[in-house]
Amino acid sequence: MAQNPAQRRYMRRMVVLSAAYIAAVMLASWLIPDDAAATPLTVAIALVPALATSGFIWAMARYVAELKDEYVRMLEIRKMLVATGLTLALASGWGILELFTTVPRVQLFYVFPVWCLGLAVGSLVNKVTIGDGGPCL
Amino acid sequence: MKNRLKVLRAERDWSQGDLAERLEVSRQSVNAIETGKYDPSLPLAFRIADLFGLTIEEIFLKD
Repeated sequence: MAQNPAQRRYMRRMVVLSAAYIAAVMLASWLIPDDAAATPLTVAIALVPALATSGFIWAMARYVAELKDEYVRMLEIRKMLVATGLTLALASGWGILELFTTVPRVQLFYVFPVWCLGLAVGSLVNKVTIGDGGPCL
Repeated sequence: MKNRLKVLRAERDWSQGDLAERLEVSRQSVNAIETGKYDPSLPLAFRIADLFGLTIEEIFLKD
């Protein structure tokens, strides 16, 4: 499917934010020694990559808001709902397992990547239920 | 919801892409509406009706 203006803007923003994220992670790895204490300075440096990940979420929100095609917007929102439901279910389930058993602890950092994988599941759900997976971003 | 979009489009010899371009939506949208997989919003239904010079009720039918 040809990209519409909202999709093109989304891709441009994600490329810029991804570059900023990689640079921020490299900078934080270089500046903060392993097992550093949580001082105001180390926390501030470590939070810079988090600004970029917050930017990813902002870019996704802008994308949905800027989509003029209501059908494509519905497909995208359905994908996000599936991803959110799946992530909440997995996070809650694993959290309970961690409470009662000795399963390995999963870092919160992985919640966002899991949500992004959930978008692929949402696309599959759209394909199965509506016959249209929606745009592949 | 059933609709007469395919017939109206055929009468004008328009492809789904032609109709999509006139409505400023994707071809997927036209296909989804035409096959009854997606019911358009009221503003889009009015745009479709205006394009064909008909009322909404003359295009979209109750199941």
